[in-house]
Amino acid sequence: MRFKKYSWLPLLPFFLFTGYFLLWPILGVTLRSLHDNHGNWSLSNYTPLLSGAYRHAFVTSIRLSVITSVISSLLGAFFTLVIVKNASSRLTSIIESVAAVFANSGGVPLAFMYIAAFGAEGMFTKILKFFGWDIYAGHFTLFSFTGVVLVYTFFMTPLMIIVFRPAILGLRKEWSEASLNLGATNLTYWRRVAIPILTPSFIGSFFLLFAGAFSAYATARALTVGTVPLVPIIIGTLVDGNVISDQANLGDALAVGMIFVAGIAMIGYIWAQRSAAKWRQS
Amino acid sequence: MRKRLLTGVIAATVAVTSLVAVSSSQAASIDYSKCTDLKSCGGMDALVKAAQKEGKLNVITIPRDWANYGEALDLFTKAFGIKIADDNPDGSSAYEIQTVKTAPKSKAPDAVDVGITYGADNVNLFAPYKVATWKDIPAQWKEASGRWAGDYYGQIALAYDTSVTKAPKSFADLKDPAFKGQVAIGGDPTGAQEALMSVFAANLASGGTPANIQPGIDYFKGLKASGNFVSVLANGQNLAAGAYKVSFSWDFNGPGAIASAAKIGKTIKYVIPTDAVIKGTPYIMAIPFNAPHPAAARLWSEFLYSQNKGKTSATLGSVKGLSGSKIFASIQGGQNIWISGAAHPITEAAMKTKGLAINPPAGFETPAGATVVLPTPDQQTAAKELLKTQWPNL
Repeated sequence: MRFKKYSWLPLLPFFLFTGYFLLWPILGVTLRSLHDNHGNWSLSNYTPLLSGAYRHAFVTSIRLSVITSVISSLLGAFFTLVIVKNASSRLTSIIESVAAVFANSGGVPLAFMYIAAFGAEGMFTKILKFFGWDIYAGHFTLFSFTGVVLVYTFFMTPLMIIVFRPAILGLRKEWSEASLNLGATNLTYWRRVAIPILTPSFIGSFFLLFAGAFSAYATARALTVGTVPLVPIIIGTLVDGNVISDQANLGDALAVGMIFVAGIAMIGYIWAQRSAAKWRQS
Repeated sequence: MRKRLLTGVIAATVAVTSLVAVSSSQAASIDYSKCTDLKSCGGMDALVKAAQKEGKLNVITIPRDWANYGEALDLFTKAFGIKIADDNPDGSSAYEIQTVKTAPKSKAPDAVDVGITYGADNVNLFAPYKVATWKDIPAQWKEASGRWAGDYYGQIALAYDTSVTKAPKSFADLKDPAFKGQVAIGGDPTGAQEALMSVFAANLASGGTPANIQPGIDYFKGLKASGNFVSVLANGQNLAAGAYKVSFSWDFNGPGAIASAAKIGKTIKYVIPTDAVIKGTPYIMAIPFNAPHPAAARLWSEFLYSQNKGKTSATLGSVKGLSGSKIFASIQGGQNIWISGAAHPITEAAMKTKGLAINPPAGFETPAGATVVLPTPDQQTAAKELLKTQWPNL
């Protein structure tokens, strides 16, 4: 990153923005996590992370993020392929707008949407019941780990469509024509050419979804009142609750743990992006 | 040009300094940020005058439909002509403390209403002030030098949509299969006081003691296993969507909840369970040291702890020409406003002895002969530790 004299100037607002809203808070959280309640330097906030309830929370959060990212990235990639290959340009633009809306839905409104649709007295619950399928007859409930997976998939799949579509559009017609001319079957083309080219983009998108799912907060909180232990929810009770008044620094330590996990996901994303970029050059 | 500007700045500075000097010399006799009771604040007339001069009161995290706070806010403004700004009405105790620590002085709160441990843990943030009714506050719920004191309690009630097949009266009733998928709680007990006290109440109903809430946790485990408990957040919105029908709630949120449910055509009822009456440890009130309107803050405090029976915001007429103490004596005190909102004021026992307590709204009466249990702060700490590991694995 080298700049010509003053050419960085237009970027100054961006640097100020990320500095103030990203780097400064990270610094603050990290420093606070390294102090005990009396303001002395200490690593004591980090010991609880390694065992018991807090480690369990990290495991649950990561498990939820991996499961939802796998489902959403596969579903999303499949839909993207179908759309790119078959949809008219008008339909594509409609799908794109709709996906953008759903991908940005989240938080309490999204949770409520699902409660209104699939809750015990939800619209779809009633319709399905009318047709003879009582979704609550078995063990299913929206207010559980499975329920949260379902709801997350709802906004992550459209997100996948948005982030993965450029990669599929980047598959050049010449490549498939060239391989067909050389006698390859359609299947061979996919196996030997398209999938290897798409893989880095797919992995990159996966990491992006993972990071999104890992940090989501309000949706799960509204659906589980703490009965599914996710790290952001626990941080919420520690730093913004009404009950536990003396463990905000532990919340900060949990946040640093999250930054660490998200950091790994971002490194994976950057690596994948670089590999993907190879095919866009030339 | 530069020289002229400099002269201007100097002139302005001199003007401002002399203005400040004039105004401070007028009110120099009493420092309202330091006076510690009504007497040292110069009496009610002087306090009201000083508060009116400040003209404003900053409160924080006070929902209007919480324990009838809306009436307290309206009456205070109507009686004294002091505007009240309420920052982030639905925030948390942690948010209030954070704001006291970090907000610029003009936006800092003049008074906080927080969970009790937030007072004990942050005692150095608060100025000592003892209200006129100080001696009526039980000793265990106040800080000896006056830095904080409990203001009101709630009791855990069962709140239910009247469309349920049978009206619940107790915690035991909720185990009935008729309530499958219908019972919800108002939050995570490690984050919401109301939910924590709900577990204490369930515990008591299940034969547990406040010292060990395991039976209470087991009660919820049982409800979850039978499918009666749904982990949806109990609030008006989710009730409206039919996501649950019965929840555990502070009684003082009842009148507000009943009214807003009625607007969307739902009828809900509150009942104090027959098998457990848990009174939550009180929320506490405190005046931060850096309160931007110290006189108004102290007047607000006197008002909230006043046991007067008197005019409400609806019945109060013109107060023009009346002295501060006359106005104060004519209006309903905060302690009775809480009763009218189905809450339990901290000086309730003394008020009853003195015959000053008004009657609670119909339907919120504590069952006759019920033993009311108050979990102590230590018992709550023990409960939180247990819940931290067990609630997530319910």
